Amino acid sequence: MEKIIVCIKGVPKPGSIKVDPETHTLKRENMELILNPNDRPALEMALRLKNTYNTEVVVISMGPPNVIPLLKYIYALGADQIILLSDRAFAGSDTLATSYVLAKAIEKLSPFSLVLMGLKSIDGETAQVPPETASLLGIPSLTNVKDLFMERGKWIAIREMDYGEEEIEVTPPIVASVSPLAFDYIRPPSLKRLLEVKTKEPLICQVKDLNLDPQRLGLQGSPTQVIEVFEKKIETKGLVLEGSPEELVEKLIEILKDKGLIKF
Amino acid sequence: MFEKIKLEDLSKENILAYGEFYKGELNSSSLEILSPLKEIAQTLNKKLILVSLIGSLENIKDWEEIKKSLADEVWFVINEELKDFREDLYTEVLVKIVKFSQPYGFFFPATKIGMSLAPRVAGALQVGLCAHVNNLEVKDNQIIMARPTYGENIIAKLISKSIPIMATISLGAFGIKYGEKEPSIKEIIFPEDFVWKSKLKIRRFAPSKKKPTKLSTAKVIVAGGRGLKNKETFQKLFELANLLGAEVGATRPVCYEGWVEEERMIGISGVTVRPKVYIGFGISGALQHTVGMENSEFIIAVNTDKEAPLVKIANLALIGDAGKILELLLKNLSK
Ligand SMILES: Cc1cc2nc3c(=O)[nH]c(=O)nc-3n(C[C@H](O)[C@H](O)[C@H](O)COP(=O)(O)OP(=O)(O)OC[C@H]3O[C@@H](n4cnc5c(N)ncnc54)[C@H](O)[C@@H]3O)c2cc1C
Ligand SMILES: Cc1cc2nc3c(=O)[nH]c(=O)nc-3n(C[C@H](O)[C@H](O)[C@H](O)COP(=O)(O)OP(=O)(O)OC[C@H]3O[C@@H](n4cnc5c(N)ncnc54)[C@H](O)[C@@H]3O)c2cc1C
Repeated sequence: MEKIIVCIKGVPKPGSIKVDPETHTLKRENMELILNPNDRPALEMALRLKNTYNTEVVVISMGPPNVIPLLKYIYALGADQIILLSDRAFAGSDTLATSYVLAKAIEKLSPFSLVLMGLKSIDGETAQVPPETASLLGIPSLTNVKDLFMERGKWIAIREMDYGEEEIEVTPPIVASVSPLAFDYIRPPSLKRLLEVKTKEPLICQVKDLNLDPQRLGLQGSPTQVIEVFEKKIETKGLVLEGSPEELVEKLIEILKDKGLIKF
Repeated sequence: MFEKIKLEDLSKENILAYGEFYKGELNSSSLEILSPLKEIAQTLNKKLILVSLIGSLENIKDWEEIKKSLADEVWFVINEELKDFREDLYTEVLVKIVKFSQPYGFFFPATKIGMSLAPRVAGALQVGLCAHVNNLEVKDNQIIMARPTYGENIIAKLISKSIPIMATISLGAFGIKYGEKEPSIKEIIFPEDFVWKSKLKIRRFAPSKKKPTKLSTAKVIVAGGRGLKNKETFQKLFELANLLGAEVGATRPVCYEGWVEEERMIGISGVTVRPKVYIGFGISGALQHTVGMENSEFIIAVNTDKEAPLVKIANLALIGDAGKILELLLKNLSK
């Protein structure tokens, strides 16, 4: 089987995002990156497929250099190759520009049988990158995939739709986003690999390595633009009440009435 | 039956809304998105058109809804191959319609189908796509779209510089409204040489047994965690939900304990919710849970521990035994 490519994203650690009240932009300095939690099931699926079909797993990420430790961690999980797509020109990319860079990098890694991604990131949260990348590559995409296996050279995918579960047959290569609920067990890194990875560095690719059209990158290549971000005001400063259950319930009912949930 | 119209005769510069049909039924989310789009269309002096891809006319069960809808026109593409949703073929059909009718905007409900389809269409057209928009306004002739983003109560306002302006619109963000005039219905005729082919083959379909929970769009949620101690106490949440017109949510451990089905899990591995009121009984407020509910408008926490993270982010926290408070609340409410 041709190789499997997994795309992962470094996302700010929850709690570390702040809005600059003056400029209405996100303060990104001092942001600590973590692996997008929804990418773990995608990696787990890739590594299970690797065991079953004895194929290679290549992990790529577009992002700043502080994604490197995340990629090294993924190497310790069992990936065969780790690649960082990093260039100042990528800054400010929306999903179209991101998908363009990923599609170009994936193309360069051809032939491949499968590209796996997380369902959505926990920062941008659009869930658009997987189908959009597939569209740019001109190959089929499936979202919310729970299970994937090969039968007579074709992928059989189980995916969750709003109306039920579908079993789909499709010829490789495809892009699939993996359901966050796909696995009960997700492997930890192996000790041996954790030691090995100390000396392992990801391959770093820049614009010049990928034959990219500069017009389609970063802010310039991003038709959607965030013009303002603001924090939603919190209605009251958290009121903490102690007392007897009777007193507390009385207060609760008062609030529920105030919110129009109980009418009397 | 209706006016048949060729691709090249389609009217231009309209606002298109994707009308999601599945096995003959129009998803109500497609009617929801017409509400804000109608206002936008009127402000910009454009027509609002519902575009639907279907296998055959015979199966359609929702004629009444379509006729009452806010759309000015409904465009159908009808072909046996469109019976099932298959993203590659559906994309090609929609891209053709866009190429010929050059719409000003194209909007999708953020259903699973909408979220699989819209990015493919946007990618093929190389235009921008805003996700999960829950507010739209026109300012200086420009559509400004707002969407909540992860945690921290951060709302982002976006514009899209490419045409058509595209977005998926959050489920439940808008109520369904009806129009005064019946839309005119047209069937788009595709050229003879169009290839109705998909690389996807649906081998099996298992309809969901349970009715899908309305958690993600619920206006009120009563959720429970391990602090409720056992399944019996947890089940009382359903009584409360009934009284408040709420949906029941849960943390991951209690779903795994089997107190309630997994569809009710809120958080990173479950559903993201944004109710007006969220009440958490015996929930610690681990990050994996709170990322799924912290954009709720008003959060109430019931916990014995003053230091629990959910107590910290709550608008109102009641420090006490969750089971007792739940029981007493039910008693008082059913009086
Ligand atoms: C406040 C805010 C709002 C935004 N709103 C929009 C919007 O409405 N429309 C829009 O087009 N852009 C938007 N963006 C930009 C968007 O977040 C970025 O384009 C981002 O690079 C990719 O989108 P995502 O995080 O939503 O990914 P998703 O599509 O949610 O991610 C799904 C999967 O794609 C893969 N993936 C995503 N990014 C990468 C990457 N850099 N490298 C490798 N794999 C990756 C991962 O497997 C991930 O799990 C917004 C950004 C911000 C800060
Ligand atoms: C990869 C991953 C993904 C996860 N995804 C999710 C997810 O999507 N959703 C999710 O919810 N969790 C998720 N979790 C689990 C999450 O980390 C927490 O463990 C979980 O949310 C805690 O559930 P809980 O609040 O019910 O239980 P606990 O953390 O045990 O909290 C119980 C709370 O009840 C209080 N309490 C105890 N007795 C009483 C009493 N008599 N009356 C009132 N209060 C009482 C305690 O003070 C405590 O605060 C995930 C974990 C991982 C590792």
